[in-house]
Amino acid sequence: MSDCVIGIVGKDYVLLAADATAAFSIILMKDNEDKILKLDDNKLLAASGEAGDRVQFTEYIQKNLSLYKFRNDRALSTHGAAHFLRGELATALRKNPYQVNMLLAGYDKEIGGSLYYVDYLASMQKVPFGAHGYGSYFVWSILDKYAHLDMDLDEGIDVLNKCIAEVQKRLLLSTPRFIVKVVDKNGTREVSLDNSERAKIQQDKMDA
Amino acid sequence: MSLSFLDKSYNAFHDDQSFEEANSNTLTLYKEPGLVVPPTFNNAGFRDQSHEIAKKFAKGTTTLGFVFNKGIVIAVDSRASMGNYISSQNVKKVIEINPYLLGTMAGGAADCQFWERYLGMQCRLYELRNKRRITVSAASKLLVNIMYSYKGYGLSMGTMVAGWDHTGPNLFMVDNDGTRLKGNRFSVGSGSMFAYGVLDSGYRPDLTEEQACELGRRAIYHATHRDSMSGGIINVYLIREDGWHKISSTDMDHLHWNYVEDKKKEIADRNKL
Amino acid sequence: MARRYDGRTTTFSPEGRLYQVEYAMEAISHAGTSLGILSKDGIVLAAEKKIISKLLDSDKKAEKMYKLDGHIACSVAGITADANILIQYARLAAQRYHFQYQEPIPVENLVKMLCDTKQGYTQFGGQRPFGVSLLYAGWDPYFGFQLYHSDPSGNYGGWKATAIGANFQGAQSILKQDWRDDLTIQEASLLAIKVMSKTMDSTSLSPEKLEFAVIKKEGDQVIYTVLDEKDVEKLLKEADIKISQEEQEGN
Repeated sequence: MSDCVIGIVGKDYVLLAADATAAFSIILMKDNEDKILKLDDNKLLAASGEAGDRVQFTEYIQKNLSLYKFRNDRALSTHGAAHFLRGELATALRKNPYQVNMLLAGYDKEIGGSLYYVDYLASMQKVPFGAHGYGSYFVWSILDKYAHLDMDLDEGIDVLNKCIAEVQKRLLLSTPRFIVKVVDKNGTREVSLDNSERAKIQQDKMDA
Repeated sequence: MSLSFLDKSYNAFHDDQSFEEANSNTLTLYKEPGLVVPPTFNNAGFRDQSHEIAKKFAKGTTTLGFVFNKGIVIAVDSRASMGNYISSQNVKKVIEINPYLLGTMAGGAADCQFWERYLGMQCRLYELRNKRRITVSAASKLLVNIMYSYKGYGLSMGTMVAGWDHTGPNLFMVDNDGTRLKGNRFSVGSGSMFAYGVLDSGYRPDLTEEQACELGRRAIYHATHRDSMSGGIINVYLIREDGWHKISSTDMDHLHWNYVEDKKKEIADRNKL
Repeated sequence: MARRYDGRTTTFSPEGRLYQVEYAMEAISHAGTSLGILSKDGIVLAAEKKIISKLLDSDKKAEKMYKLDGHIACSVAGITADANILIQYARLAAQRYHFQYQEPIPVENLVKMLCDTKQGYTQFGGQRPFGVSLLYAGWDPYFGFQLYHSDPSGNYGGWKATAIGANFQGAQSILKQDWRDDLTIQEASLLAIKVMSKTMDSTSLSPEKLEFAVIKKEGDQVIYTVLDEKDVEKLLKEADIKISQEEQEGN
């Protein structure tokens, strides 16, 4: 719960941010852990939660979407993927629950960007913005006040910067680094929160 | 991590409410933040809590590993304890999976030994089947998948998988929660905080092999000094492109007196200046 | 006793053929004709009704047309009892997909799933293959209107217009000649009647010998309609087919 993920839908993109810390007990084991998984060419999944569950569940979804693509020569829509993910989580809930909270971001040609908020109890909502973790309590009001669907990418990143600054200022548990990714018509890529570096946005080279 | 201490403010808030209700017509000038901090994940009714017992096993050990320009250093202590009783001072906590892979042991000795040997078998089968060595990434993923499938069944393991493959030096930390982290500096076990202190302050990627091995040894030594559950012999391994090499096996008592002497000399030298 | 190669569905003949599957296909080529025509604004399905009797008490409009989901329908040729099993399966598969992904199943996905089932009967022993060919007509947002055909072996393909059942070669050659990519539903319907009239055994066409269904779109809605006899009759007239109601009754 000390981890924090944030998502915002903008004009023609969806932004996801996740803290990059991996903690064990009181120890910070890692400050560059990537919690935003690329599901396919136009879907990102940010997840926070119990150690192990997070990676196992998100990779399970990723591999199943990949299988769908092989079987049907076409990627599942973001809507379809979200409901599939929710269904899998709900099925597991009464057997062997995964303790993960997620934000699924996708871009579909006809529909544009969309963001789905899924919690560990498998409830799901399509949202214009969302956040998970203790950090979310600091973030919701900022999103309510500043975020809207017409923001261009720079405006979106500005709002994200406000959110992250507040989390880092007020949340007792420090989250020194955030990883930010965007999904739009060109696919997925990592973006820098730093204004000066924003120009040289690099194409995401993560493994599919 | 647990944030149960935050829940106290939740209770305090509710205690105040009865006060507020009694004085509802008076203007409230001060109010505690109304943040109701929820419990973390609410497990009630979903899964039995038996996996919690795993956490009670303090991983009475200190192990560490770090990647530097020349390779990877692995250093461990050798104490085994059962509560207050030191059951052995001569435990091999580095498991030699194959000439290019090492695993470290923290937590349940039997669990670590059994599963790391099993991992060694799987890695050999991989070699026979695919005619090439397994990557460190893949080997650690095999181990973590086992950890995850036994999650909640009481396994206790905190292990580092280190080795050199075609991508270069690689270090992973795997534990019984099903966590698998790639990194270049880890310490695991009850003495890990002490080891981190020395390791983090002395680490530079451009250390020489000798300096790196000494840093590892020194970090474990300081952990054994402060952590009652760590001690005995300090074993140091170095992993290079040609595989792992056992560098030293030193009794921490001897090290202690050597370091004490060194420190005395240092102070004496300072006073001369 | 010499073993023949048609006893089991799963045994290849020395020439590499699966006789049981071929027999199943042969059975279908004697069944009533079914055809499908893709047009730019919809799909027309037409089928021949073989059993017509005044004594048959049925208020069903169609015996061979089935709605599989809101956006997919099919027409069958062959053993209708076998078809019923496949149709049950298809409907279940479509609903399961909808349940899992909360969106309608894409047409080809459903066709593939049915064909995987059919294929199973050519490989796993003990049972005979399904004695039916199907024409699937549907719409999805990915490929628009689509027409597919599948046979008992589990092979399937997408078509612009095709026919199955008795005299399907004849029907196909007319379709090949007359199909254009700018056909409207109306034109496709008239083409369907032309093909049916030339390929059916009976000398004259009549509404009760035909089943007719159309899939089209109104806004976002996909609409499946089975034409009633009046509408078919209207079509027949338009197609300039002489209907001699009196003559038939006289017979």
